[in-house]
Amino acid sequence: MLQYVIAGLVLGGIYAIASSGLVITYVSSGILNFAFGALAYFIARLYYYLLVTQNMGIVVSAILSIVVAGPLIGVALYFALFRFLRLSSPLIKVVATLGLLVSIPALATVIFGSGAILKAPGLAPEPVHVYNVAGVAVTLDQVIVYICVVLIVVLGALIMKKTDVGLKVRAMVDSPAMTELSGTNPGAVSVGVWAVSMFFAGLAGVLAAPIIGLDPGNFTLLVAAAFAAVVAARLRSLPIAVAVGLAMGVATSLIQYFLPTSSNWTTEVIDAVPFAFIAVFVVYHLFRKRDLSESQRVGGALDSAITPQGESQMAGAAGGDLQGSSLGFIGRYGGPIVLIAIASLLPLIVEGLWVGLMAQAFAYAIIFLSFTMVTGEGGMIWLCEITFAGLGGLITAQLATSHGWPVLLAVLAGGLIVLPIGLLVGLLTIRLGGLYVALITLTFGLLVENLVFTLGMFTNGGLGANVNRPAWASTDLQFCYLALAVFAIIALFIMNLRRSTTGLAMSAVRWSEPGAKTLGVSTVGMKIMIAGLASFVAAIGGGFLVTAQTSAQPAEFSTFIGVIWLAVLVTFGVRSNTAALLAGISYALFPAITLAYLPSWTVQIPTLLFGLGAIGVAKFPNGTLAQNGEIFRGWLLKRAGKKAQAEPGSLAPPEGPPSEPQPPARLGVSS
Amino acid sequence: MTVESTTTPTVPSGTAPVLVAEGVTKRFGGLVALSDVSLEVPHRSIVGLVGPNGAGKSTLFAVLSGLLRPDKGAVELGGVDVTGHSPQKRARRGLARTFQQPELFLSLNVREHLVLAHRMRYERNRLWRDMFDVRATIRKNADEDAHVDGLLKQLGLTSIAHTSVASLPLGTSRLVEVGRALASSPSVLLLDEPLSGLDARESEQLAGILSKIVRQGDQDVSLLFVEHDVATVLALSDTIYVLDFGEVIASGLPDEIRASEAVKAAYLGVPATDEAEGEVSS
Repeated sequence: MLQYVIAGLVLGGIYAIASSGLVITYVSSGILNFAFGALAYFIARLYYYLLVTQNMGIVVSAILSIVVAGPLIGVALYFALFRFLRLSSPLIKVVATLGLLVSIPALATVIFGSGAILKAPGLAPEPVHVYNVAGVAVTLDQVIVYICVVLIVVLGALIMKKTDVGLKVRAMVDSPAMTELSGTNPGAVSVGVWAVSMFFAGLAGVLAAPIIGLDPGNFTLLVAAAFAAVVAARLRSLPIAVAVGLAMGVATSLIQYFLPTSSNWTTEVIDAVPFAFIAVFVVYHLFRKRDLSESQRVGGALDSAITPQGESQMAGAAGGDLQGSSLGFIGRYGGPIVLIAIASLLPLIVEGLWVGLMAQAFAYAIIFLSFTMVTGEGGMIWLCEITFAGLGGLITAQLATSHGWPVLLAVLAGGLIVLPIGLLVGLLTIRLGGLYVALITLTFGLLVENLVFTLGMFTNGGLGANVNRPAWASTDLQFCYLALAVFAIIALFIMNLRRSTTGLAMSAVRWSEPGAKTLGVSTVGMKIMIAGLASFVAAIGGGFLVTAQTSAQPAEFSTFIGVIWLAVLVTFGVRSNTAALLAGISYALFPAITLAYLPSWTVQIPTLLFGLGAIGVAKFPNGTLAQNGEIFRGWLLKRAGKKAQAEPGSLAPPEGPPSEPQPPARLGVSS
Repeated sequence: MTVESTTTPTVPSGTAPVLVAEGVTKRFGGLVALSDVSLEVPHRSIVGLVGPNGAGKSTLFAVLSGLLRPDKGAVELGGVDVTGHSPQKRARRGLARTFQQPELFLSLNVREHLVLAHRMRYERNRLWRDMFDVRATIRKNADEDAHVDGLLKQLGLTSIAHTSVASLPLGTSRLVEVGRALASSPSVLLLDEPLSGLDARESEQLAGILSKIVRQGDQDVSLLFVEHDVATVLALSDTIYVLDFGEVIASGLPDEIRASEAVKAAYLGVPATDEAEGEVSS
């Protein structure tokens, strides 16, 4: 058993380092860096490149990658991205870091080449020396992890408690505004914190590489596990994060000791342990009635006072000037109509496998509408929509193939079965703030991926299940238009929902829960309703996707792919039905176009671009489609204004009483 | 400042108060934010609530509106004990409020705020029905239009009815909040610093409108408001309560409050004599 405890302390040490890096950036800037694992992978991959490919030696490679490149990446990311996110909503912060999570591994592949490296060297020279401690074998790599954890804890505590730098960082945590008023440059402190955090990322990455190999998916999984320690620390307490990280590593190792090695489920259960920890910690905090919202996040009273309501919100406030009727039907809907018409004609223009890809594109578009509902309309960061799509797809395949149900009935049944699951997740996350909702839904997705999608009935020995299309829509072209029709029905429903009393109430809940409550709107009811509807739509989309592909493979619904889906959608616009359609087409066609017509090294370019698009929400919260629509409408309005000058009387501003306040002009957004 | 109709309130004799707080205590850890606070808002009257910063006014509003549960004491609305009721239930019983920092819905325009409030009061079933009814968004409702447009006009918001609230200055945002609260036809309206952010002329206009709505309007509505501008509170209110350190240190008619030594002490830091305090505390 001692062997397991020692191994567990190594894993726990890596969790502790990772969670330290996550906590210090959260407390100092309010950003929970979902890309920490991807960045750790990038630096570890750089270390491998310097050590193995360039043969530079351990010390030089470690210094260049962990001590130099890591902090430099942190500084660069701060100046390029994170400093713009300080006053942004949790939604934008999460999406921007998810964009990094998507784009960094793709960038690493472009720079260092593709292919997972199963055996990577650590900081110990090869062959790794093995010590015998009380009859237990301990490797030099493990000893290095222990030393690093001790150094980080001791030095970290000393720096934070005893130095001027530590004092400034702690002041920043309490109130960035007051710190600035006291003469400290908060930007300089933040740069330092991000540099240290990326140093931790590099260290954790290089230390973890010998254990988990150099695979971006494993790194993301490792850091997702470290989120358990961060949740236990309620995002803020460094000592608790370190302690829980260590304890979790040991607990995971001990559970492995007690589980039968022969069982197929053992690996899946072990992988799921940290996520079960996250669920337990959240339930514990809620049971203790501790605040798990972001209202207690960063800063003090002055910081709250100088942060305007809804500042930099994604899918934000619709300006009245351009949204009003002054532009007419064409001005408001002309762009979307043209784009939808082109998308609808594409299946008739393309040939061969491209028609099949268009069918998949429309199925993806249906799934993306679930993000439009839950994130765009509901303002909730759900990272498990792909899980609902996967469940819908796999249930469709089971019912249609194993039980002989008509496939469309199976799709509908899949949606109805997933609906209560979505309602349940909605109910469980109802009292949580945006970040915790993102973490919990990510956890839920990873748990289902590990425990449900790996079941033999779904994997079928790696073959998946075949799904036959309905006889009357068996060709790619016919199925294309069937999927497009379903997309159109759901999109119309969303349009109606948005403009209805339900939509008004949803907006109320999204922007101000106290305001909505005191108006008589049930915030719980609205949130659960939107969660249920979105999960239903995702499951229907999943059913259509497997039917378009004529096979259901659980591996296609991994949680990480779901993050890419979200990145694609927010690139175009998370509140727009048209954006969902374009995102579906882009996601289905771009990779295929790259494979078919471009050199092989460009294969990661679409993923890289999707990630960069998501990062772009820091600049354009409503996505590129809405941004361009805004420019187009602005141009129309300008033109109309010129015309109005020529013809006095038309488009004149309405006259109000002289005492009435006149709002400043503002560009608006509509989709 | 001059305010319309500050004379005798039109409280029907024998009518029970519409809102009552009885011995309300609220603690946050070791801090006692409210200690045994009692107040009454009579039918169709204007009640002012004043006190220095940190006196507990906003906490009391949160307790009255259901956003906070008191540790001790009770809240009655229209004669019904609503202490355990959610804010939504209280809203349905006719309680509406505004906030010190306006809590507006930034993706909605001005008119939509009032429309939503009106529907939540009169057509709650549309909340779940409308999403499946494609005609719901185009169907006209004459009563709703008359009520909402009337309020917009009364508050001088007609010309910006279709403007997003995200682009409004603070003073106008407060007017929208007041309009939203009134659109739900409340029996009790709690206003948290409604005049803050308005210039002198706008303050005078809004005070006049509120006074008119309570005293001459068709609707039975009472008003409890927090305001730092003591002159306005004295001019507008029928009854005034003064909070300090979470306790009611004085209550009574405006003239009584004006003369209260306890109030002067709370505001100016001059110790009050027991005798002076006893004169106005009820």
